[in-house]
Amino acid sequence: MLLNRIVLGLSSGSFYSLAAIGIVLIFKVTGLMNFAYGNMAMFMAYVTYTLVSLGLGPWPALAVVIAVSMLFGYVVERFTLRPLRKLSHGSMLIVTFGLLMILEGLATQIWGTQYKSLPELITGRPFILRGNFGIVVFRRQDLLLFAVLAIVSLTIFLLYRFTKIGIAMRAVSENEKAAQLMGINPNRVISYSWMVGTAIGTLVAVLGAPRTYVAPTMMIYYQLQGFTAAVLGGFDSLLGAVCGGLALGVIENLIGGYISNELKTTLSLAIIVVILLIRPQGMFGSEEIRRV
Amino acid sequence: MLEVRNVTVTYGPVVAVKNVSLRVEKNSIVAILGANGSGKTSLLHAIVGLNKIASGEILFDGERIDRFEAHEVVKRGLVLCPDNRMVFQKMTVLENLLAGAYLRKEDLSRDFDFVFNLFPRLRERLKQKAGTLSGGERQMLAIARALMAKPKLFMLDEPSTGLAPNLVSEIMKAIKQINELGITILLVEQSAYAALRIAHYAYVLQTGRLVMEGPSEQLIKDSSVIQSYLGGR
Repeated sequence: MLLNRIVLGLSSGSFYSLAAIGIVLIFKVTGLMNFAYGNMAMFMAYVTYTLVSLGLGPWPALAVVIAVSMLFGYVVERFTLRPLRKLSHGSMLIVTFGLLMILEGLATQIWGTQYKSLPELITGRPFILRGNFGIVVFRRQDLLLFAVLAIVSLTIFLLYRFTKIGIAMRAVSENEKAAQLMGINPNRVISYSWMVGTAIGTLVAVLGAPRTYVAPTMMIYYQLQGFTAAVLGGFDSLLGAVCGGLALGVIENLIGGYISNELKTTLSLAIIVVILLIRPQGMFGSEEIRRV
Repeated sequence: MLEVRNVTVTYGPVVAVKNVSLRVEKNSIVAILGANGSGKTSLLHAIVGLNKIASGEILFDGERIDRFEAHEVVKRGLVLCPDNRMVFQKMTVLENLLAGAYLRKEDLSRDFDFVFNLFPRLRERLKQKAGTLSGGERQMLAIARALMAKPKLFMLDEPSTGLAPNLVSEIMKAIKQINELGITILLVEQSAYAALRIAHYAYVLQTGRLVMEGPSEQLIKDSSVIQSYLGGR
């Protein structure tokens, strides 16, 4: 029972982690909380639905949509946010709010209010592990999710640590002017982070669609939990985003299983408030490094 | 090599630099001296493209560069070493140096040798986060990082600020060594003596205007005058 709860928790936690990675990636480089993050992903889920209903298999559809989402992320940043970047941070936040509402309205206009369904990317009987610890069930879709989370976070980690573009991203996120003095073009780095961030959000939406159905509000919960996971992890740490998401998922499921299913969100958020009161910088957030 | 013609820099209604003209000849060391708030840093930032100029023009090797963004200016070999608070504190010394070499495509081993020769202490601190370095080490890192970009014209913003006197002379010695390798230097300084000792030619800025210029040997003789412009010490 406990082990199965944990596995289930890790599975919803993986969604939160992925959502958090995308949010943090954009935040780290641009300093901007993208409120439209979830709805951009929702919109891409609808595009996937259209592609699949036109007869494309779910995997090719996913590949196409990931490419489209990168373009989408680029266009949103380039044409709605970049013109404001040097003028007002507040206006940029409002723009992302506006996008959130526009996309929701647009999705309803185009696809209607009826929920659509997307097939799971892999189907089949779950794997069952038996041992003296009891029985643990792994659904195939969950294993896929774990694999996606592992691949995404590892790729981003390697990119960040060991590549030129990774160094450029970290440089811009720490000090944009200094980065420019190295010949780094901040606009390009910001474009990249929006492209990758939007693509990761889209992964969450498409992988989560079999559970949530494709609907204008499908991503609200994931975005909120992704945001919470990011805060729990420290908000400027990608490792924190991953661990924060997984921890949140497990806490939520344990509460849902042992205390009350209705209270799982409330209580898990309360626990996080307590954790943050004790450790305001989150699990992995960087405190200001300062020499005394 | 660098020519600044009648440049004015403003921040809203505030005029930071007014009608300044100066030249930097190839292979020389030129110093810009001035007190706090005299517009030195604003002028440097304008040259490198971090500030837009209100009027005038800036030419580098005959090409107008005053419309370019900073990262495009750097591509042309004009590299600014900012003050030492601008090292990437969350990155290691090695990563800082790699960031400095962002535009370079060729093998970097000779550049690493060069900067470690200049500042052996950086080699010992390679894996350390820059935020944990001392002020002097951070200044060395800032200089080394900028050198990794292989500048043609190397500009330094107050490299001696906040350093102990023996460290100042160490840094000045390093700057002279860099110049002897054929890198032209534009040095912005508050401590006039240290800068005049290594510079060939110097300009003195006061509240955004040029008030004095001349070969260093000559200005050293007038150093009491300069000190009065710099606020004396």
